Amino acid sequence: MTEEEGKIAAGAKPHPGDRIRADRTDLLYKDIPEGGMLMRIEGLHVVYQTDEKVTVAVEDFSLDVKKGELVSIVGPSGCGKTTILRCIAGLLQPTSGRIMMGDRVCTAPGSDRGMVFQDFALFPWRTVRQNVEFGMEVAGVPKEEREKRALRYVEAVGLGRFADSRIHELSGGMKQRVGIARAMVMHPAVILMDEPFGALDAQTRNIMQEQLTRIIMHSTRTVIFITHSVDEALYLSDRVVILSKRPSRIHKVIDVPWPRPRDRASPEFTALRKRILAYLETENVMSERARNVSGRRPATRAAHAPSSPPL
Amino acid sequence: MAFAYDKHNTYHRMLRQALITVVSLIAFIEAWWVISIVANSSTIPDPATTFDALADLIRNGDGMTGDSLGTYVSASMGTFLKGFALALLVAVPLGLVLGRFSLLNEFTEPVIEVLRPIAPIAWAPIFMISIGYDLGPMLVVFVGIFFPLLTNVVFGVKKIDMSLVDAARTLGASDTQVFVKVLVPSTIPYIMNGTKIGLGIGWMCIVAAELYATPLGGIGFYLSEQATAGYWPGAFAAIIVIAFLGIITTSLAEYIHKAVSKRMGMDV
Repeated sequence: MTEEEGKIAAGAKPHPGDRIRADRTDLLYKDIPEGGMLMRIEGLHVVYQTDEKVTVAVEDFSLDVKKGELVSIVGPSGCGKTTILRCIAGLLQPTSGRIMMGDRVCTAPGSDRGMVFQDFALFPWRTVRQNVEFGMEVAGVPKEEREKRALRYVEAVGLGRFADSRIHELSGGMKQRVGIARAMVMHPAVILMDEPFGALDAQTRNIMQEQLTRIIMHSTRTVIFITHSVDEALYLSDRVVILSKRPSRIHKVIDVPWPRPRDRASPEFTALRKRILAYLETENVMSERARNVSGRRPATRAAHAPSSPPL
Repeated sequence: MAFAYDKHNTYHRMLRQALITVVSLIAFIEAWWVISIVANSSTIPDPATTFDALADLIRNGDGMTGDSLGTYVSASMGTFLKGFALALLVAVPLGLVLGRFSLLNEFTEPVIEVLRPIAPIAWAPIFMISIGYDLGPMLVVFVGIFFPLLTNVVFGVKKIDMSLVDAARTLGASDTQVFVKVLVPSTIPYIMNGTKIGLGIGWMCIVAAELYATPLGGIGFYLSEQATAGYWPGAFAAIIVIAFLGIITTSLAEYIHKAVSKRMGMDV
């Protein structure tokens, strides 16, 4: 299924006036206390329609995101995690359901929801610093200020020496650090990370996870993090949302109360990881069996009732 | 032998390439010589006579009209550059718009597909008579460069990495900003590629068009004048000049294409 088909199946067209184009959108929500509800995802349904068949990618996904927390969404490959995140970002219109930031409904992409992409999505014709400047540039931040701020963020992710390098000169891990700096420099209200370390080798991945932990510890950033690695989710998140196989439904939400930085080898860490992996295993088996026996999908277990029936 | 070829040494590779080029050219001239002796016809002058004629052309210009080689070359180049500039001015914005708006592209595609396969030089007689001998050759060059450039630009816009567009939108860019700051820069290597192909075709067109356009001069005019007069070494000398200028144009375009692609961090 392609993006185009997804867009055809999608609902209402976004209104251009809905687009948030601003720097420091976190300030829009400064009245919400730490731990207060910042984003509400209500009854998200995504149905892809092609000539041959109708595919339900996401079924009744609802989630409240608190300010300052890191929520991971974990699930097997192809379960629609990325589809959910693209809806949140406004890049894809859900078939039904809505995304609320505070009391505002999000219908178009905007700088209040910064995104870090799995394939980095960096502009190859721009230098590292110019990539980081992009968001401030389109928001109309004066040249001098944006150059200074971009450089500060480039240095913060350890790429000071590479500020004027081009993207193809960087390694995968360095590229993603540019991607993170580019999203962070805007101070978005929420940062969306779509398997940001998925394209990296295991060692770089661990280093990046540690660096991200350090960033989280030093600032109050709200992050929605997509991964298929239970280990990564437990290492980084305050809460882990476990999805079932396609169509995505929330299987279970687990609170991870441990302080950071975390020890992956600790007994509670390994025990919880084992339990989640077992959950995923049984859920997959059960949903297969349910389908085979009754010929229809098992009932949804999400907390919210669907706001409209799937097609 | 003391010299051992090392294929990982840039200098050795360049030397090898240069040697092969020289040997190839010498072999070509030898073959030409043999053919001219075997054919024993005035229409195929031998290389020595041709190079004498070339030297005469460079030193004394066109004996029949009194114009210098420089006048002819600059007339040809002027026409060529005007046609090229016009093609860039029209094809690039049109290609960006057609690539961006698929309905417009679908609407114009049948017309473009009908016109594109027509050899540009086929327009020459029409342009010469209807538009004039002064603008005609330029328009032929324009047609020659226009279509490869247009199709490359449209292709470039369609090939755009959608994740770059997504990234720009999540950073707050409007549709106009996406067009200007993402679409246009990512299409530039394709514009350069189209230009490279267009320049080759355009250069063929200019010489062919000049065969018609007597009043303006140009190297194509000299060629036709010499052949008509039956002075074959002169005609062949003109061909050498045309080949030489063609090589310069295309290698310049090649160089710019490479430099720009590198600057944009993309390979096309």
